[in-house]
Amino acid sequence: MTDVVATPPTLIAEHSIAAAFRQTIALAKRSTLELFRQPALVVPSIIFPLFFAFLGNSSFGRTTSLPGFPKVNSYLQFQLAGTITQGVLFGSVTGAAALATDIENGFFYRLLAAPTARTSILFGRLAGSTLFGALETAVFVLVLLPFGADVSAGLPGIIAMILSGALIALAVGALMSSVALKTGSAEAVQGTFPLLFILLFFSSAFFPRETMSGSYKTIAGINPISHLVEGLRALSLEGFSISATARAILVPLAIAVAALLVANRQLQMRLRAN
Amino acid sequence: MNNSPIIAENLVRHFGDVHAVKGINLDIKAGEVFGFLGPNGAGKSTAVRMLTTLLRPTSGSARVAGFDVVTEADQVRRNIGVALQDAAIDPLMTGAELLALQGVLYGIPGSALKQRSNELLERVGLTAAASRRVSTYSGGMRRRLDLALSLIHQPSVLFLDEPTTGLDPMSRLTLWEEVRRLNREGTTVMLTTQYLEEADQLADRIAIIDHGKIVREGKPADLKAGVGAPTLIINTNTDQVEKANAVLSTFGDLRPGAEGALGVGLRGGAAQVTEVVRKLDEAGVRVQHLEINEPSLDDVFAEATGHRLEGADNAPSAGDNGEEEPSKKKRRGRK
Repeated sequence: MTDVVATPPTLIAEHSIAAAFRQTIALAKRSTLELFRQPALVVPSIIFPLFFAFLGNSSFGRTTSLPGFPKVNSYLQFQLAGTITQGVLFGSVTGAAALATDIENGFFYRLLAAPTARTSILFGRLAGSTLFGALETAVFVLVLLPFGADVSAGLPGIIAMILSGALIALAVGALMSSVALKTGSAEAVQGTFPLLFILLFFSSAFFPRETMSGSYKTIAGINPISHLVEGLRALSLEGFSISATARAILVPLAIAVAALLVANRQLQMRLRAN
Repeated sequence: MNNSPIIAENLVRHFGDVHAVKGINLDIKAGEVFGFLGPNGAGKSTAVRMLTTLLRPTSGSARVAGFDVVTEADQVRRNIGVALQDAAIDPLMTGAELLALQGVLYGIPGSALKQRSNELLERVGLTAAASRRVSTYSGGMRRRLDLALSLIHQPSVLFLDEPTTGLDPMSRLTLWEEVRRLNREGTTVMLTTQYLEEADQLADRIAIIDHGKIVREGKPADLKAGVGAPTLIINTNTDQVEKANAVLSTFGDLRPGAEGALGVGLRGGAAQVTEVVRKLDEAGVRVQHLEINEPSLDDVFAEATGHRLEGADNAPSAGDNGEEEPSKKKRRGRK
């Protein structure tokens, strides 16, 4: 035995933004692969919103003639934004629960033991959720389009919707990831599911705020989900315009930025706790 | 200046009122296999977590691969390999995918990574299973993959936290052989284990840790020689324990036995066994079982701590052909 430190391996690149980016991409790939290898988690977040959309179309089809209801070709055209938001909300819970599972089973610590940029761990996971949000949005549009869920803004509007869906996924995924990082418990993350469901029903996801009254209307007015849905809905109902696109993109973007700051703070707190 | 790859000075870690590690000192030389032996909850994993930058010490300092574990944590991570007992391998990924991910985390360029992954898969005997999801792997295959993952960047220092816990004897032997091979190639290995045989077989030097403190440290042979006398172990009826101990104590220092057993270090060596049996018989002690053991690490442990190493009797010998144990579950996360 010798009394010298072995020469550090030459394979390793120094820490850099480029390296952090590559790590984020690799972790995003893992996050996406994981999602698609668990169809039992992915399929419900696509099937149930579609089920609710068709159920709503049958049950509430005639409500489109109520005073205050915007001019639409069908209830599905109105509902499309709500369906996208619903699906993306539920999909994002799945992604955040996977982060909590990583903490529970120790994979998170495997990543920490490597020279992984700490933010890559969070952003890699969120990139997977964001991609899934975009995919879900595309699926909802493609499936509901033939049944009357027209998108007045056309193809540019559909592209903007997909981008908006991705940003909503990022925003909700970051908020749910905060819960994952705070608690380290997949059960706690999944426990937020009923809360999201309540928030969704107290929003304008299924009916326009103009048809609501009293405290329900007030709650829907301050509910951020209403604003996410209405941004998307502007593209569906109003046709393509800069203002509609900006509303669809900027509202989720602003929430995403705030949520990312919260999630990053939770990550730093977890790292400091070790 | 001390160039040892693992140095710890008065390393302490508290979790609230729990003092998990109470000031340990280590100086592990380059090219050594160092065994960290102790029962569950002794502080082994906490110490390793501090040395691998996963936990901040409450006080004290440590340098690993030449870098401070707190102020130069990133450099430490680049130079060490870590296989933690409680860091799961993602069951939804394949072995090849996990190696590729690990390679990216260490910044290994694509062409070199592919070659290195193939080398490691072959080395740990997982080439054929590389494209299978980890969920289909046996416990032994997972540990071998874990080892391969920890070696992707050719670390100079390797930390193995209870690498064979829960493995069947054959898998255990395979892993031991790989650790020896790595060590022959120059890798410094710090190995935590609760298995006496593992420490005895693999380690050049060992430290015995109990209740957060290192109670003995040295070469296994030296430690065993330090115990001196062989241990006579007897089993008798519970109502005869006091009488039996009175007889045994006339032949040497009483030593803790495994559950229900009595032990004594025979001052006069193994030749005294006949006389001990005669005296016990004269005292009316009915001996149900008797064995004489040359000094073992368990005796070292017992002599140092006053109790036998928990679980030592349950560890399957590498020579046995036992069934695989269920993996030990441990609390993780914010310790």
